[in-house]
Amino acid sequence: MADVNLYLHNVDKNSEEAERIATDAAKRIESKQLKLLDVIQSMGEYMTDDDATVRAKSIGFLSAILAALDSKALVRQQVSVITHFLTDRLEDETGLKEVAKGLIALLEMQRFGPEDAEKVTLALIKVDLHKHPQGTRFMVLKVMDVLFSRHRDVLKKLSDPFIDGFIELIGGEKDPRNLMIVFSLLKVIIIEFDIERHTEALFEACYVYYPITFTPPPNDPYGITAQDLKVRLRDCIAASGRFSEHVFKPLIDKLDSTSQSVKGDVLQTMAACALSYGPSIMAKHFASLWDAIKFEVLNSSDDELATDALSTMQAIAASLSYGLIDVPQPATAQSRYLKAIVKETLELLKEPQQKQAKPAGQIVASVAKAGVVPFAYIVKSTLPTLLTVYDDSEGLAKQRAMLEVFNQILESTAAVYGEWGEMEPYPALENPLLEFKDKLFDIYSRALMGVNKEEVGFRTVALKGLEILSKVRKLLADNEIGMVVQYLDEVVLEREEESRQELKYAEHLLQISTMKPNLIMEITFPALMATLPDSEEEARGKPYLVTLEALAKLSIERAVFEVLLTRLFNKLDIVIHNGSGPIYPRAILSTLLYVLQKKSAADHSDIPAFYERLVPTLITKTISALTTPVETGTKANPRALIDDYMIEITGRLVNLVVRSLDATRQEKVLQDVFDLFVFNKPCCIILKNREQVADTFRPFGPHRVEQHVPYMTIFTCIVVGIRKEVKLPVEEISTFITQIGASIPTISLPHKTSHLRLLATIINKWLPPSPSPDLASNEPISILVRPSISSACSLEDTIRIAFWVTKAITMKGDKLGEPLTLQLVDLLSDPNYGSMAARGFAVLLGEDELLNKQNYAVQRLLSKQKIFFLVVPKLVEAFKGSEQTIKPNYLVALSNILRHIPSKIFLPSLPQLVPLLLQSLDLPTPAKDQGAVDVKLATLSTLSITILESANALQAHVGSLITRLLSTATYHGDLGNPGAPRRVRKEALSCLRIFPGTLRNELVLPYKRQVMKGLVACLDDPKRGVRKEAVECRARWAQLDEPDE
Amino acid sequence: MDNENPTILNASDLPSRKRQIKRRLPSGLSNVDMGLLSSIGPTAEPNDPFSTGNVSDPLSSGEDEDSDGDDFDVEQIDEQEIYDLISTISDPEHPLSLGELAVVNLPHIKVTDNQDRSVMSHVLVEITPTITHCSLATVIGLGIRVRLEQALPPRFRLDVRIREGTHSTADQVNKQLNDKERVAAACENESLMAVLRKMLETCK
Repeated sequence: MADVNLYLHNVDKNSEEAERIATDAAKRIESKQLKLLDVIQSMGEYMTDDDATVRAKSIGFLSAILAALDSKALVRQQVSVITHFLTDRLEDETGLKEVAKGLIALLEMQRFGPEDAEKVTLALIKVDLHKHPQGTRFMVLKVMDVLFSRHRDVLKKLSDPFIDGFIELIGGEKDPRNLMIVFSLLKVIIIEFDIERHTEALFEACYVYYPITFTPPPNDPYGITAQDLKVRLRDCIAASGRFSEHVFKPLIDKLDSTSQSVKGDVLQTMAACALSYGPSIMAKHFASLWDAIKFEVLNSSDDELATDALSTMQAIAASLSYGLIDVPQPATAQSRYLKAIVKETLELLKEPQQKQAKPAGQIVASVAKAGVVPFAYIVKSTLPTLLTVYDDSEGLAKQRAMLEVFNQILESTAAVYGEWGEMEPYPALENPLLEFKDKLFDIYSRALMGVNKEEVGFRTVALKGLEILSKVRKLLADNEIGMVVQYLDEVVLEREEESRQELKYAEHLLQISTMKPNLIMEITFPALMATLPDSEEEARGKPYLVTLEALAKLSIERAVFEVLLTRLFNKLDIVIHNGSGPIYPRAILSTLLYVLQKKSAADHSDIPAFYERLVPTLITKTISALTTPVETGTKANPRALIDDYMIEITGRLVNLVVRSLDATRQEKVLQDVFDLFVFNKPCCIILKNREQVADTFRPFGPHRVEQHVPYMTIFTCIVVGIRKEVKLPVEEISTFITQIGASIPTISLPHKTSHLRLLATIINKWLPPSPSPDLASNEPISILVRPSISSACSLEDTIRIAFWVTKAITMKGDKLGEPLTLQLVDLLSDPNYGSMAARGFAVLLGEDELLNKQNYAVQRLLSKQKIFFLVVPKLVEAFKGSEQTIKPNYLVALSNILRHIPSKIFLPSLPQLVPLLLQSLDLPTPAKDQGAVDVKLATLSTLSITILESANALQAHVGSLITRLLSTATYHGDLGNPGAPRRVRKEALSCLRIFPGTLRNELVLPYKRQVMKGLVACLDDPKRGVRKEAVECRARWAQLDEPDE
Repeated sequence: MDNENPTILNASDLPSRKRQIKRRLPSGLSNVDMGLLSSIGPTAEPNDPFSTGNVSDPLSSGEDEDSDGDDFDVEQIDEQEIYDLISTISDPEHPLSLGELAVVNLPHIKVTDNQDRSVMSHVLVEITPTITHCSLATVIGLGIRVRLEQALPPRFRLDVRIREGTHSTADQVNKQLNDKERVAAACENESLMAVLRKMLETCK
């Protein structure tokens, strides 16, 4: 049987097989076993078949072969024959799609020449495309697309007949996918072809689609959006200035449309046309455009449309100033356009407090941004008048409104002339603001420094203006910017009460510091440092915190931070020497910590460089404060350095630096700190009295000195920051672990945490994996968590240790994780210690501040999930069978687990958990019990998440949940039973607020009366914050049954 | 539109409750933007997650604008609170708030909040239309009334009126605004309620 028979036999039933037959034929043609002409001849009988589909399918066979053929396989003459054959077939309506496919394959052939292209094109434009289905039209357009990309010259030479034919061909196309091709081909014709005689026809061909109001069908396989079509069509319309006579009038008419999206499209199209058509064409149209679009800004009620209109105005100005290098002559289009704008806006700007001043300012500013020429015109024709208005205006309110107008104009300067450091060449036209800069500088300076300090709003506007003036390149001289910096310094140092505002002033300094860092180093640093008091007495009542904050914010970059470090260490010494208490030194060190945290968060690579200057210095200072005797006769109080909070800050500082070191350096540091803290050996971290420190410093071990124990915080902070691959310098890790564990019960409460954390860190990073999941046979863990027989106090400590150990173990995914965790769950049923264990789950799952990823803790993915799926079913089960007094333990544990687990993990389990969550809302929450308050807040936030993300889990509980939320939210005003504290009441209200709109109407509507009534009591809550929340909540419920528009 | 180009106040200049700034030492640095520091575990006081009653952490309790222990200090409903409730209502004509348009002004609000809950308390709001013939003064007044009725406990008696000398038909408007039955009738009017809803949408 001939291939064609086989193909026709299979094509409808088994398209893969048909494909294979065609590919096989193609291979045989390539290897000369089969002649292409024979194939065509074998098709002969089918080509004359009465059934049109048979004819189509047989052409499909040829197309499939062509598609499978190598592009070099056919010789010139073969291409010519097939071209001839296929172009003849273009008339056969049923085979059109297959013919088009064949042509696409044929066009890819190397020997397909210009004369073939001409033949195909002429045949193609005669096709009556309209009556064919979308898919067929798409194929034909694809052929056209390939012709455009491979044989554009042929098409151009065909000229008029082609353009007419093409317009005819595409007329009436409606399919979005096809239109994407049509628009891109039209654009090529409009730009590259000689269209003089076809302007109107081509414009019509495009504009008939304008405006595009297309909504893609759901699940549209091609993913074409209205925006895609709009952009392509806009490109066509803007492609040639020849359209200008036809386009603007209808566009202006369409601005009356009620559809915001049509109006936006119109404005964007106008802007595209203006930019593309150029000055001589726009000279004829700017006036009517301006008249039409100004209302879109001046009386706008839609910010987006106003923004579009402003861009259009700017585009017209940019277009008109194309090629201009100086302020235009009065009669030119540019100057008439700008004059019209100034005429309209200047009057409005003279009354800067009125509503239309703002849009008028926006118009002026955005047109000025169009380029140096419009900018110069606007400045020269508005500023002198407005400066006079400013001088004559009485009252700060008006002056301030005028300053806002100035600021808008200044912003456009920055856009036109660039900021300092800008690489673009400086414009040829001198900045017209230079003429006014002294005046402006004077006005702004007086506005900032010459008014009452309480005029925060006014001064903020002035400050903004000064900042812009300083930023624009080559406008202010360095000494003038220096003045601005000085003003800012003074402002920063003003009275403390307005400190929040002052922080923003510091932001302005920061802005300038990025452009002129030397000015900040030379002026601001000395000025601010000079105001820092030298002793705590002197500091009393002084806003040194504000100064420190400003310094911290300016010191993120390395060079500045180095200066800060030196200066603050010096200051610290002086302050200590003058006998300070701990408070002021804390603030100084906190400043350094703040900067280091910022640097660390920003991944600065220069942190290791600060090791030498920071770590040994600080540790030496702190330790020698205790080990060297106090000199008599001086006020010096080095003990200020060793209050717990100072040591904590020191630890954090040291941690940030140490963790940034590489493994080699860390190994050395680790050895050193072990020498210092554990082995009592002289060590090079201590910079003075090394031997003496070694002899006396005993923070750890059998001979420890109680006063030295707090220093272990620093030790923990260093060890926790060490990478796992660094070896721990102890002979036997388990001995060391046991030693730490044993010390914990004898250490006072405040310092237990650092020891527990140390223990957990070492287990997590350095203890080898347990050989089996059998707890009893695994030392030292089994010893650590075994309740000891001694006093009750140590049983509490065992619980602490057990939670921290379990945390370390579960984090790294060790085999012991499961037995340890289950042991913790069992603790919950203990009448004495169950509640302590319940709170412990916050430790188990919470993110520790130090034992975490940033400090190289081993943290397996899904370790928290594992705990969740292990523990929660047990909790639910145990809860059901437990006594009333024990139940709260399970609820608290559950809340502590849920608040540390991503919601997507617990959402599937919610149906089982909701009853428990509801009961936990009934637990009492005395305001003094922070733990209970946190649990309640966590429950409320879990419920809120549930409502938002998994409302179905709550369906059955809506009523009881609402009742409980209302009762939680209500203040009882009773001394004996005051109800939940304010934060809980507020949270309950905000949870209740989510119901309407999130849950289905029919689920919540039945409770509307109850809620509206219940909330009345909350409206009278003693606390304003709760009342506000109640008002919002009530407003949401009040709208419930109103019909949606 | 009645008044196309009214004078407007700067939103940031409108009266607001002065934030009480608590700059506490030593966590003062953390109050504003240095929040990271507040997380530093203070060891001066026991911060032990295993025990109850550790709310007395003096170093971090400043983070909330209101600390928990003082529920018995009653914050009374005052003029500023009323202003905050109604100044964010939108004008029916402009995309601006009644506060920005100076239709509602803090000095024109009077509140008597009786501590004795059995005695009626009062709120008086006087509104200033942007122009004396403003045809929407009634709608604005109604919006304010509806908002306050929803937001205040029932022990408050409301009085919403046009400020003297600021409107040509003030008497008529006042009568309408404070006549219970006419207000109730107005609230039955669907198209009027739609306008009010839109005005109240921007309430914060």
